[in-house]
Amino acid sequence: MPAGPTSLVDLLRASAQRHPGRQAIRHRGAEIHYGDLWREVRRAANALRAGGLQPGDRVALLIENSIDYVIAYYAALQAGGVAVGLNTAMRGPELARNVAHCAATALIAMPGHPELPGVIAACGTLRQVVTTPATGPARKAPDGAVAWHEWMAAADDADVPETIEPQAPASIIYTSGTTGDPRGVTLSHRNLVANTLSILEYLGLTEADRIVNVLPFYYSYGNSVLHTHLAAGGSLVLENSLTYPHLVVQAMAEQRATGFSGVPSTFALLLQRVKFADYDLSSLRYLTQAGGAMAPVLTERLLAALPGARLFVMYGQTEATARISYLPPERLASKLGTVGIGIPGVTIEVQDEAGRAVPAGTAGEVCVRGDNVMLGYWENPAATAKVLHDGWLHTGDIGQLDADGYLTLVGRSSDMIKTGAHRVSPLEIEEVVLELAGVAECAAVGVADPILGEVVRVCVVAADGAAPEARAVQAHCRDRLAAYKVPKEVVFVATLPKTASGKVKRFMLKEAG
Amino acid sequence: MSVAEQVRQYILENFLFSTDVSLLGLDESFLERGLIDSTGMLEVILFLEETFGVKVADDEMVPENLDSVNRIAAFVERKKA
Repeated sequence: MPAGPTSLVDLLRASAQRHPGRQAIRHRGAEIHYGDLWREVRRAANALRAGGLQPGDRVALLIENSIDYVIAYYAALQAGGVAVGLNTAMRGPELARNVAHCAATALIAMPGHPELPGVIAACGTLRQVVTTPATGPARKAPDGAVAWHEWMAAADDADVPETIEPQAPASIIYTSGTTGDPRGVTLSHRNLVANTLSILEYLGLTEADRIVNVLPFYYSYGNSVLHTHLAAGGSLVLENSLTYPHLVVQAMAEQRATGFSGVPSTFALLLQRVKFADYDLSSLRYLTQAGGAMAPVLTERLLAALPGARLFVMYGQTEATARISYLPPERLASKLGTVGIGIPGVTIEVQDEAGRAVPAGTAGEVCVRGDNVMLGYWENPAATAKVLHDGWLHTGDIGQLDADGYLTLVGRSSDMIKTGAHRVSPLEIEEVVLELAGVAECAAVGVADPILGEVVRVCVVAADGAAPEARAVQAHCRDRLAAYKVPKEVVFVATLPKTASGKVKRFMLKEAG
Repeated sequence: MSVAEQVRQYILENFLFSTDVSLLGLDESFLERGLIDSTGMLEVILFLEETFGVKVADDEMVPENLDSVNRIAAFVERKKA
């Protein structure tokens, strides 16, 4: 590792210099080696600058996990820009809202994305719109965009002049927000480097590691898997869908994967549909699990199915770049049910409502300090002030530390719905359902699901005599929201239970139905 | 009703919340449209097993058998034959 890397670009450059001929990424049978990846990143960074990108400008990416995504992301950083990975499952209004909020001047997108024309039309700040593929056979760009190979024709691969300040914004990750309250987690170069190096240290990743990755890079967990493996000089094999679970396990066997990362629903699906014993997974060295508590019985089944792999249970938050704590595998049995200790460089404190540290064994809000704590929410000082104050990131999670400093999460102080790998704000669903005629009031909640953890239920109070059909509510949401936000259940109720101050008692709606 | 029409109706009603057949072509890829995710596919398989009395083995869960209305219909017809 070079002394004092200031950005992820430094870490990639170091890997490329160490072994330019090693495979960095493999996707759909195509692969790119470190030397070529680093050259393409520099060329694309030059093209961005030639197209007018200024340091600090936002570069939105509407690209599924691919070699192209990686080139575009690192090029945005190398050019001094701020990479904004958009959730490709989102619908037009959600995407346009995020692109407009960060006032992106450049957009790099898949040409076939159905929402692309609408996003281009809706976002007046865009000065460069480029469509992939960056690698492989060229494809014609849609109206309003230029194809990558044309965009790159004039670009050289000289190093872009160094413009990267460690404290400058490097990336924005939009988490579940609403129109009136967008949550663009803004991470600095220092945040990303610090978290990447911490994770590298405790996972012990090396250039011999190869991970089969199913996590989207536009979320913080997938983002960290990408950066850590590139910094280690290892390789990533991209499998973008769990729709066919045994194909993922087949790829793990064929590619001799050493690692695999998932959220609880990933492992639940694989254990339900795949006979691990049918595959040679002897190369598998480590598994990581984050994204919410996994039931201990599932953890035990996973360990029984893959006895050769060490399981790292982890906890994190996008606001902390990705990772906050990990449970060392050798303590898994004795500390099962905890999310472990702070990762290197990160301090965890559990505080009471007055902001005082509480003793071990007492529950309170989990607060975090370290170089991984975000700069704030983009252009949303009110939301930032609520979570960043007194020198701590206030996670909104309720937990307690034991005498050895191991953290157990016992709840959440917010109403966020956790479904699969996704976090969904109930307000976001409610504002869309309320657009329908015939809906007087509504409230969205998460209800238990054996695989996804939770699924969305919306409780609707109909306006006088004019209730919409349940299917119409779902169809409207399907038009406006990413598929994972569409309510699985629509329940009609006479009234919503409320507190004296008028706040909806959501916990009561989780039980009804 | 043909197998293909029954499958299309099921996908429309449960993933597009509609009965408008113009919304889903018989050869359209579910993966490319982002229509059916991993748990959605488990629901589709349950539907096939209950409606057509076929058993879908884990190694038959591949795009060649399941990634469009026509592919599912052909797969079901083969299984029933």
